[in-house]
Amino acid sequence: MILNERCFDKFEPLPRIIYHADFDTGYNGFTETIGNYEGTLDEIIPEMADFRPPQLSNRPMWDTGTAGSLDGTYALKLATRPRKGSVAVCTKRLTWTKLSRIRMETWFGIKSEATELRLSETDVRGFGFLLDLQDDRLRMLPRVRYLHARDGQKIGKWQVKVEKPGKRDIGTRGETVSINHYADEGYADIPNGQHEMCGNELASKMNWHYLSVTFNLATMRFETVRCNDIVMNAESLAPFEIAIMPNLRGLLNTIFFVETDVDKRAYLYLDSVLYSTEG
Amino acid sequence: MRESYTAAVERNVVCGRDFTSEPYEAAWADEAIFFIRVLDPNHKGKLAFTAEISPDGMRWCAQGSTCEIAEGADLGFIRVKHFGGWLRIRRIDAVKTEPKVIVYLNLK
Repeated sequence: MILNERCFDKFEPLPRIIYHADFDTGYNGFTETIGNYEGTLDEIIPEMADFRPPQLSNRPMWDTGTAGSLDGTYALKLATRPRKGSVAVCTKRLTWTKLSRIRMETWFGIKSEATELRLSETDVRGFGFLLDLQDDRLRMLPRVRYLHARDGQKIGKWQVKVEKPGKRDIGTRGETVSINHYADEGYADIPNGQHEMCGNELASKMNWHYLSVTFNLATMRFETVRCNDIVMNAESLAPFEIAIMPNLRGLLNTIFFVETDVDKRAYLYLDSVLYSTEG
Repeated sequence: MRESYTAAVERNVVCGRDFTSEPYEAAWADEAIFFIRVLDPNHKGKLAFTAEISPDGMRWCAQGSTCEIAEGADLGFIRVKHFGGWLRIRRIDAVKTEPKVIVYLNLK
């Protein structure tokens, strides 16, 4: 893999780089996420049926034109529907090669659709990153979320989902189950994980932030979550576990999501993603 | 290698008379085809759709390309060139039927 000097400058990866997704070069294997089904799409849990396809955006604004990405033109964009509670999710599917530390780094931004001539800083409910993984011991969907705002109030804190969602049978063949692990519940706050992000002064202005999430596949705990200068330790929070499932040994999906708290589209933009491991 | 992408911009959604697909950014692409797949094999009447373009993803106008899907048919397409940055489709027929559809946007 070839990484230029500017790439190294803006990331601090672990020794083995598994992928570098620069969205100026394309979608890089990020695809829409969908709930499980058997036989018909009608069997998908309704809340998981419409996670929206990712887009390549040059970030056009109605007032100032194209904003571009951090060091190019295109960013990966997740966009919810304009409906309160809508979630957009994209996934890159791979497998783990060693049960050791992994690190996901990205330069990101959040904003809602600029349909109003006001800052609209409480429209985006939150966004986050999760892994979907399984080893010989357990299946886990560990996630961190930045809870940005709720019911018109700014919140601004990082969280880990700790409560296990209920398993729901789908279909009639008994091959597949499903859980709505994207529901807006079951989170615990990361200690000292409250901080404000730069929301700027107009709905059409968005600033890039740095996020680094380190997860240990040996202990199955998040270690550090870093957002710009804020470094948090999340080891005290145990992500929820579920029983292992057939066909999933080795699973490791890297997933991003964004949620809207109002009837307006919420956007998560990713300039680039670097995924690295200890071995 | 040339970049290409298929987005399922709508999936298993009810396509009523006022249907528009969700906005999709496509500034990077030179050409686009919408495929409209009707999931109800018994839909009545001839369905019609038009492509729409937008400068900002919020204000839309017809691009001029259209397609019709005959009664009993399950697939139609709209080719679009020279579309700027945003694309969506709008249903434009007057048939009183609301089939479920999947709308794919194929870009390259």
